[in-house]
Amino acid sequence: MISEFLNMGGYGLYIWLSYVFAALSLVSLYYSSVKKLASIKSAEHLYQTEKNEEASISVQANRF
Amino acid sequence: MFGIFKPRTFFNLASTSIFWLKIIFIFSIIIGLGLALVFSPIDYLQKDTVRIMYVHVPSSWISLLIFLIIGICSFISLIFRVKVFSVYAKSVAPIGLVFSLISVVTGSLWGFPTWGTFWSWDGRLTSMFILVLTYILYVLLWSFIKDYNSAEKITNIVGVVGLINIPIIKFSVAWWNSLHQPSSITLTAAPTIHSSMLAPLLIMFFSFSILSLIIFLIRYKYEIINFRVNKK
Repeated sequence: MISEFLNMGGYGLYIWLSYVFAALSLVSLYYSSVKKLASIKSAEHLYQTEKNEEASISVQANRF
Repeated sequence: MFGIFKPRTFFNLASTSIFWLKIIFIFSIIIGLGLALVFSPIDYLQKDTVRIMYVHVPSSWISLLIFLIIGICSFISLIFRVKVFSVYAKSVAPIGLVFSLISVVTGSLWGFPTWGTFWSWDGRLTSMFILVLTYILYVLLWSFIKDYNSAEKITNIVGVVGLINIPIIKFSVAWWNSLHQPSSITLTAAPTIHSSMLAPLLIMFFSFSILSLIIFLIRYKYEIINFRVNKK
């Protein structure tokens, strides 16, 4: 039954390749984005440590 | 006029909502994949290959939608000089690029068993290929132009000019002879596919949209912090 499911009526190669390609692409994009953010996260305290600072972010960001 | 789009809105949204968006994404993708791969019926002509549609079509829709967003943001940034719109466009562009690649690759993989060829230079496939190239150009320009203002100006122009391709992609199957089938779902008419196939298609589109939003918020947060850090 599992082999029947994997075989997908003889089109398994095309179907699974499509899903695997989509999954790998999206997972890579997600993790590269998370990694990018983590690399700069040390600077995040500039934004979120205190409430007052958040107000200043708003001002700075709006200027931006 | 653009007050609701101020940078802090999405920055705060990124901090508070990503966790819940991930939960929604996990649930919806499990349901979507279950329906797409197990419970949806096979097509009487295309047999099981129709299951590729549940990845191909939502990816195509999202890649078009994202470029439309890039075009609109670029236009606003160019005309009204609201800088944050170019940050929105920059943050969302890699997501559009990946979805356009998924669309083209899965389309080819679907094309071979149904048309007998992986690729044909007809209207739809060629215009979609141009979209991929436009995305690549847009992302590369941001990467290689070091001066922020120059990069912003040039990418805004690419974003606005690239908009021309969107209606071409949409109407290419009507304007030219194509191997590609006409749209089964339009905004103006009832869908021509059965609800048992429409449901997984829409759920997969919803899942991909939520994932796009999650990745956009992460990338947007990075861009805002990066801008502040570089400014210091």
